[in-house]
Formats: sequence, structure tokens, C-alpha cells
Amino acid sequence: MATTTSAIPESIERAQPRSEGQWAVVVRRFRRHRLAMFSLALLATIFLASLLAPWIAPFPRDDIALNRTFLTPMSADPATGRLHLLGTDHLGRDFFTRVVYAARVSLMVALSVTTMVAIIGSVLGLIAGFFGGWVDNLISRIMEFVATIPDLPILLILSAIMVQNADLIVLPDWIIGPVAWIMAVPNREATQVALLILVLASLGWVGIARLMRGMVLQVREMQYIESARALGGSYTWLLARHVFPNAFPPLIVAFTLGLNGALVSEVAISFLGFGVQDPTPTWGNMMGFATSYMFNHPWMPLIPGLPIFLCSLAFNFIGDGLRDALDPRLKI
Amino acid sequence: MTVYLIRRAIQMVLVTVLSALLGYTLLYIAPGGPLLFLQQMQNEGQRRVTEDDIARLKARYELDLYLPIRFSRWLIGFPRGPVQLGDTHLLAPDTVVGCAIPGQVRLRYPDGSSEIIEEGCNRVVTLNDLAERRSSRGILFGDFGLSQQITRDRPISDLLMSRLPYTLQLMAVSTLLAILIGVPIGIYSAVRQYSRFDYVITGIAFVGSSMPTLFMGVMAILVFSVLAKNAGLPYLPSGGAQGIRDYTIPLIGMVDAGSFLDRTLRFIMPVSVLTFFNIAGWSRFVRTSMLEALRQDYVRTARAKGVLERLVILKHSLRNALIPFVTLLAGVLPSLVAGAAITESVFNWPGMGRLLVDALGRSDYTVAMAILFISTVLVLIGYLISDILYTIVDPRIRLS
Repeated sequence: MATTTSAIPESIERAQPRSEGQWAVVVRRFRRHRLAMFSLALLATIFLASLLAPWIAPFPRDDIALNRTFLTPMSADPATGRLHLLGTDHLGRDFFTRVVYAARVSLMVALSVTTMVAIIGSVLGLIAGFFGGWVDNLISRIMEFVATIPDLPILLILSAIMVQNADLIVLPDWIIGPVAWIMAVPNREATQVALLILVLASLGWVGIARLMRGMVLQVREMQYIESARALGGSYTWLLARHVFPNAFPPLIVAFTLGLNGALVSEVAISFLGFGVQDPTPTWGNMMGFATSYMFNHPWMPLIPGLPIFLCSLAFNFIGDGLRDALDPRLKI
Repeated sequence: MTVYLIRRAIQMVLVTVLSALLGYTLLYIAPGGPLLFLQQMQNEGQRRVTEDDIARLKARYELDLYLPIRFSRWLIGFPRGPVQLGDTHLLAPDTVVGCAIPGQVRLRYPDGSSEIIEEGCNRVVTLNDLAERRSSRGILFGDFGLSQQITRDRPISDLLMSRLPYTLQLMAVSTLLAILIGVPIGIYSAVRQYSRFDYVITGIAFVGSSMPTLFMGVMAILVFSVLAKNAGLPYLPSGGAQGIRDYTIPLIGMVDAGSFLDRTLRFIMPVSVLTFFNIAGWSRFVRTSMLEALRQDYVRTARAKGVLERLVILKHSLRNALIPFVTLLAGVLPSLVAGAAITESVFNWPGMGRLLVDALGRSDYTVAMAILFISTVLVLIGYLISDILYTIVDPRIRLS
């Protein structure tokens, strides 16, 4: 009998289905949230349109023509007979073209800000939570200080100082080049966009750092960390292989909601005139101009306003869906 | 408790000074400034700018003082002249505190080019000179100096005080309304969880709290002012706190500009937008913490004892559910100053947030810094109040 220690017939072993991975479960649960799936599709469409902006836009971006200002949506230019899908603005520029280009700037600013915030926040949070001691103390004090300064005033002040003096600030080419390429704007307009991204990112990281620190403090005490350390794992290995992946899930939700926060902040700052300035379109500054003409042309604020509203709502629904999908205690 | 309060007070002063330093650094490193304006004048050939013009302008903005002196004068209004105790001078009255006209040295390079650099000082500023200048009492003591652009040479504190009532009115009414409406809604939808009412309310609250205030404000103007007016219906006037000339509204009749009715009509929209936004957020918050409280064991015990359901909800659950809500309210305090900048701008409401936006638009950074400083101090006070309130509503928590 010594030869049959593993007496399980081969057929049974093969019949056992491979258990579902963690992320497969999350995806399956997320797909049940119908509003979140719908929001994802909507955002994907807008995002794709913004990526294809140079190709799908029917007119040049800054094509000013004063004989066709304030055309209503779905009307044709009396001179050329060309259709303006969403009408034209106060300078006769095609609204559809500008909304698509603005989507590029607004969404990409939100995406780059949130990515930077997530990187800064999670690195600082990881370090603070994992190493503790004076490192944690220092980082926590900095976080408290940044959290104390009221967001909106400091954001407005910083971006106003930066953007109003954008001509005097020279950014290196390795920043300007990629920013101009990502945002589909000319190089000379990229400085203000880059500055706005820097301002938003430099103040937004506290939330994620706090979240990460809290998660790491929990994970750090787990037995698998202890055993990995006992096996001789280096700090980098421990952090990258064990701590980060286990502290990661709540970060996804924070990232999604952070995208919304960055989008809304950029829109608000540009709306008030301290963000991206006019020839470069963003939903915010388009909204600013549209509201000043809304008494005679009530349809105007809807054109940049609806995309802002829809994207904001979509980000929130996706965040909600992700939170439900990632929460193992919740039965869906 | 006393020890805790003392420690907190020290911390608060430290953070206040730090944030003031941050604000001042921002002002200092901000490119542009008054000297650039002088340079433009020179370049446009309006008139020749002399050395004395520069010195005068520098003295006006204190740019001729050394940075630590400038900062300390700005922060605590010291030194305001010769430093003396009684009749004895603690510092020599001719101590150099700055440089009015820097010395210029022409450097000649071997390749024939030359460059003028500033080195040394031709005319120094001493403590005695400071006595003749207009000095502020320091922002820590509530003197924010003079506004440079918005109101020329009027104290910033006057400017702030003229705008403060509008913001307080807006924020106080909307906060109060939001508590009065939002808390009961939250409680009711927690008690009737998964009822139709709950679904509708959570749905509205979700959309409401994820809608940008900017969008909500513009839509409100669009629907209640523009479209209603165009359709000949009674409409709400928008923009400003009071009208400039009289107007008629269908069904209501003639409205005198500046009358109580005019002010009320203009007040309705901004206050409703802020209230709606707060209700959406707070009713969700109260609902969640109420659900949590209703799940506790002592609630089950109370029900098992046969306590009236109304008492279970109001006495056992609600009082515990409102503990976290108290901290949320302390967060309202800083928003009293500049929290509604966007709403105020959309509705052209002449409050502090609007003032911040105006000040930034006209590069009057000192006004902006004053607002930032006040809101930071209010945040700190808000934190302190919420911590103390916490110990009052929840005796399990002790401050140490």
C-alpha cells in the first residue's frame, strides 16, 4: 500500500473547476450594477471621442467667423450651408468641435492629476504606514497641515498666480511636449494646462495618502507579512508584493471619485477664469462664456454643461459600483 | 482638559503662523507685482522712470526691506520704528533693515561685453525710517493692511466687513434649512429602509451630491430666471443682492429695487442651491449613521422590553446616530467664509467668496491672502470645536 499515498483518481482531480480569481469576482459583481455599467459605457464613448478629436471634429478648433455667431444647434451656416451640429459660440466657432476638444483637455487634466495624486499619495501613505516612527510622524504632520488649508481658496489663489503669470514661467520641454501631445493643444498653450495640473496635484494627494496609510497599518500586522519577513523578504519586496496589493482595493474607489473631484475642480477654476484660458477649450471656460450669453441664448450653457454633469454623475456611479463590488461583506 | 486645550492652542498658533508663512511666500514668489507695472510704463514710453520712483514704489509695498523684517512687520506689525523700552533703545535706531537703492556695479568681461549687477547699497533703510511709514498692526491681530486694487488704499478689513454680512446670511440660512430638512429625511429613510420613499430620496440625494454646484446654479438661473421670464411666468431675478432699477414680475407686480421683496426674491435661488446641495449630502450621512445605530444590540433590547417605537428611534438610536454629525457641522464653519465661492460667483452674490474671485481677477493678492488666512483660522477653530463637542455628546471619549 506504500505506493498509493495519493489515491485520488486523476479524473476527479481534473473535474474540480479552477476557482474564480479575486478580480474575476470583482468584475462579475461590478457587471451586475447596471447604472455603473451604463456610466462606464458613456464615459468610454466620451473618452474615445476626445481621443479622436482631431479626426472627428468637423471644423478647425479656433475657426472664428463673426458672420455666424450664436447659431442654434442643428442649424446651417447661411454663408456656406455647412451644418453646425451643436451650433456656434459668441465668436462663431463650432460648438461640437470645441466640446470634443474640451473633453480632451478636461478629461486628460482630470486623469493626469488623479494619476499623479494617486502615485504621490500611495507612496507617502505606504512609507508612513509601513515604517512608522518619525517618518510616519513627519508625513502625518505634513498631511494635517495641507488638510487644514481650505481647498477652494488655496486652489483659486495658486492657479490664479500661476496662470496669470504663465508667460513668465518657463517649464522644461520634457513637460511641455508630452502635455501638449496628450491634451492636443499647441505647445504655447500647454504651459497653463501643465501649471494647472501641477497646482491640482500638489494639493490633492492627502486623501489618498491617508487612506493608504490606514490600510497599510491594518495590513502590516497580518501574519502573512510576518511570515514573508521571516523568510527574509526585503522591504521593497514586502511593500511591492504583499503590502501594496492588499491595501490596493479601496484605492480604486478613491481613484474614481478623485477623477470626479479633479474634473469638477478644473471646471470650476476655468469657469471662474483662473484656469485654462480661452483659445484652449475646456468645459469650464466654455461654461463661463456660455453663462454670460445665456439670457439671450438659453441653450448655450447646456452644451458644455451637460457633459460636465453626465461625466460627474458617471464617475460617481462607477465609484459606487466599484465600492459595492470590492466589498466582500456585501452580497449582491 | 486644560492641558489638552493649552497644547491645542500652541499647535493652533504654530499652524496659523506656518500657513501665514506659506501665504506670504506665495505672495513673494509670485511673478509680476508692482515693479513690473513700472517697467511697462518705462517700455511704453509714458514717462521716464527715475531711481526715486522705484524707491518710492518699493517703500510703498515694503519691497525695500529685508525679507524677515518684512514678514515680521506683516505678521505682527513689528518693528514699527526704533525698538525702545521706555527711553532706552534695545536696538540702535540706525540699524539697517533694508536697502532703498541698491548699488550697481558694472562688470566688464574679457570678451568686451559688460553686465550691470546689484551689489552693496547706496541708500539704506534704518529703523528710524520705519517710524515715518504707515505700518499695519500685523495680520495676527486682525490688520490685513490696505487693498491695492479693489478699493484703492482702503483697509482690507473694511472691505471684508462690508462683504461678510452677505455671506453669513447666505450660509446661515442655507445651513439651518439643510439641517431642518435633511436630518428628518435621513432619519425617515433609515427607519423605512428599502421603502419607496427611501429609494426616491437616496436616488435624489445621490444625484444631488454628485452634481457640480456650478452646473446646478447655472441650471437654476436658466430654468427659474431665463426660461420662466421668456415664457411670461413669474420668475426669480438673478444676479446681485439687490436690483438696480425697478422691474415687474407677472402675478406679483411691481418690485422696487432694493426693497425687502426684491432682496428676498434674489436671495431665494442661491440659498436654495446651497440648501439642496447640503440636504443631499447630509441626509445620506444621517441615513447611514442612523442605519448603523438601529442595528445595535441596545436597540433590540429596547424593542424587546416593549419601549414605544417612537422612543426607540428618537431616544435610543437618533441620539447616538447624531454623534458623527456633530463633527460634520464643525466643518461648516470654515465654509462660512469662502466655501460658497462658486455659488456666489454664479449668482453674482456680493459675499466673501465672490470677493476672493474678484480680488484674484484683479491681482489684488493681499485681499486673497487675508481671506485664505481667515478661513485657515476658522478651519482650526472648527476642528477644536468639533473635538470638544465630541466629548460633550459622547462621554466615552476623553481628550488627553
